[in-house]
Amino acid sequence: MDIILGYVTTILVFFFTYNIFTLGLNIQFGYTGILNFTVITFMAIGGYVAGVLAMPKAAAGSGIYYILGLNLPWPIAALGGVLAAGLLGYLIGQIALKRLRSDYLAIVTLATGTLLYGLIGNGTSIFDGWQGLFNVPQPFAGFRTWTPLGYSIFFTIITAILFVLLWLFANRIYKSPLGRVMRAVRDDQDVVEAFGKNTFKVRMTAMVIGSMYVGVGGVLTIAYITALSPAGWTTGETFVVWAALLVGGRGNNFGAIVGSFLVAVVFNEATRYLPQIPAHPNLIPDIRYVLIGLAVILSVYFRPQGMFPEKKNTFLEVPLGDSSKAIEEHLGGLSKVGEQ
Amino acid sequence: MTTISNDQSTPVNVALEVESLKKSFGGVAAVDGVSFSVEKGTITGLIGPNGAGKSTMVNLISGALKPDSGHIRLDGHGIGGLEPHQIGARGLIRTFQISREYPDMTVMENLIVSAANQGEKLINVCFRPSVGKKRDRELVERALYTLVTFGLYPLRNEYARNLSGGQKRLLELSRAVMADPKVLLLDEPMAGVNPALIEKLGEHIVGLNKELGTTFVLVEHNLEIVEKICSKVIVVALGTTLAVGTMAELRKNQAVVDAYLGGDVSERVGS
Ligand SMILES: Nc1ncnc2c1ncn2[C@@H]1O[C@H](COP(=O)(O)OP(=O)(O)O)[C@@H](O)[C@H]1O
Ligand SMILES: [Mg+2]
Repeated sequence: MDIILGYVTTILVFFFTYNIFTLGLNIQFGYTGILNFTVITFMAIGGYVAGVLAMPKAAAGSGIYYILGLNLPWPIAALGGVLAAGLLGYLIGQIALKRLRSDYLAIVTLATGTLLYGLIGNGTSIFDGWQGLFNVPQPFAGFRTWTPLGYSIFFTIITAILFVLLWLFANRIYKSPLGRVMRAVRDDQDVVEAFGKNTFKVRMTAMVIGSMYVGVGGVLTIAYITALSPAGWTTGETFVVWAALLVGGRGNNFGAIVGSFLVAVVFNEATRYLPQIPAHPNLIPDIRYVLIGLAVILSVYFRPQGMFPEKKNTFLEVPLGDSSKAIEEHLGGLSKVGEQ
Repeated sequence: MTTISNDQSTPVNVALEVESLKKSFGGVAAVDGVSFSVEKGTITGLIGPNGAGKSTMVNLISGALKPDSGHIRLDGHGIGGLEPHQIGARGLIRTFQISREYPDMTVMENLIVSAANQGEKLINVCFRPSVGKKRDRELVERALYTLVTFGLYPLRNEYARNLSGGQKRLLELSRAVMADPKVLLLDEPMAGVNPALIEKLGEHIVGLNKELGTTFVLVEHNLEIVEKICSKVIVVALGTTLAVGTMAELRKNQAVVDAYLGGDVSERVGS
C-alpha cells in the first residue's frame, strides 16, 4: 500500500510541476506568441538559486563547490529562486524582445540557453558543474518527524496548492484586459503598437511572468528530488514542455493540463516499464522522445490547434434597452449622411 | 497671409504637418523631401502613382519607420522619431494597406482590445480586477454600437479570420473608431473592395468626420471616391509633393495629369 501511495505521490508531484511549466509557456507563447526555446533553463535557474540559498556553505574539502550557501529558510530560498528565474526572463527579454520577433527571437533564446548550459556545466564553482547540487535540504523537513510517505504526501499537497493558485492566476490574466492585449500582440504586434500600446512592455510582462512560473516548477523539482544537475535540464526537455502545450492546446490552460498529463505522465510512466536492455541504457528515454515527437507530428497534422483549442471569448451583452434605442437613432443618423 | 502660430509655427487649425521629410532605402529615395499639412476636421486625400512613397510616408508619420530628416508635427508637437505606440497614444491611428485583423480573436474582441485605457496594467490584474470589468462593460456597449453602425453586428462573435475581404475592411475602420483617434491615417482602405462597399466606406468616413470631428488622411487610388469626400488632395510623385488642391483643380494641372492622371488605369476605370 505504502509503495503504491509513494508511487502515486511522486507521479502527482511530477504532474503538477509539469503543469506549472506548461502554464508558464502558455502565458509566453499561447497568450503572447513569444517563442521561448529555452523553457527548461528557467526551471534550472529557479531550482539552482533556491538550492544554494537553502543549502549551508559548501564545506571545504567536500569536493562540492557552489556559490552562496546561505542556509536560508525554504520559503525565502524558494522566493529567491523564482525571482532569479524572473530576472533571467527580464534579461533575455531585454536582448530578445526589443527588436526581434518569432524565429529570430527563438534562436536568441535557444542560444542563450545553450550558453548558460555550458557556463553552469563548465564553471564548476557556480552550481557544482556537471556534478550538480545534491543533498539539498528539503522544505519543512525538520518541522516534525516525517515518515518518508508522510513527507511525500505533504509535499504533494504543497505542490497541488501552488499549482491551483498558479492555475487561477493564469486564468485571471487570460480573462483580463492585459490577457486580451497579449493575445492581440500574438495575433499582430504592429497593429497593437499602432493603436498606442507599448508592445515591448506587454511582451516583457508575459516573458517575466512565464519565466517565474517555470522557476516555481524548478524550485519544486530541486526541493523534491534534493538534487539538480545539467543532465536534468538538457535542451530536449524544453521541447517536452513545448510538446505538452502543442498537443494539449495552446492558449487554453485546460489543454495545457491535458498535454502535461499525456506527455509528462502517460509517456513517462508507460515507457518506464519497458524491459531494460543493459547494452542500451538510453533506449528508454529515447523511446520516450520518439513517442513525444510522434504525438506532436500527429497533433500538428490532424489537430493543429491541439486537443483543446483556445475557446471563443464572448462578452456579456447588456440587455438591449436604452442602447438599442441609441443604436436605432444612430442608424437613422448614418443613413441620412448617406443620402447627402 | 499671417496666421496665429505657436512656437513651432504650426497654424492652430493644423492637425498634422509634414515638412521636408526624407527616407531612403539603400539607394532608393522613397520619400524625398515631402511637405504638406492637414487641417483639423478635414478629410484630406493623398494620391500618387504606385511607388510614389505614400505607404512609406504613412509608416514615417506613424513611427513604424524613422525618417532620415525632416519634421512631423501632430497638433504642433514634433513626433518625428517617436515609437509607434507613443504616436498612437497621442491620437494618431493608422491602418495598413493590407487588412490586418487579429485573426484568432472575435470581431468584438478586435474592437474592444483597440480602445485606450482598458485597465490592462498588471497591477489591476493582480489587485483590482474590478477596474477592467467595469471598463469592459462600457467598452462592450460602445463596441456593440459601433458594430451596428458598421453592419458587423451579426458577426460580432465570429473569429476575425473568417471574415470576407470587405468585412475585414469594415472591421479595420470600426476598430480604429474604438481608439478615439484625433487623426486617422488610412492606407488604401478601399483597395480590393467592390464598388458598393467603397461607397459605404466613404459614407462611414464622412459620417465619422461629421459626428466625431475626426481628421482623416486618406491614401487612395480610387479617385472617384477621393473627389467625392476629400476637401483637399495632395499629389505625390517620386517622393515629393507635386501639387495640392481640390480634385477638380488637380485635373486641370498639367504636371499632375502627366505624372498620374493621364495614363493611369484606375483613372480610366474611374471616369
Ligand atoms: N522596406 C523597403 N525597402 C526598400 N525599398 C522600399 C521599402 N519600402 C518601400 N520601398 C520602395 O520605396 C518606394 C515607395 O514605396 P511605397 O511607399 O510603398 O509607395 P506607394 O505606397 O506610394 O505605392 C518604392 O520604390 C518601393 O520599392
Ligand atoms: Mg502603398
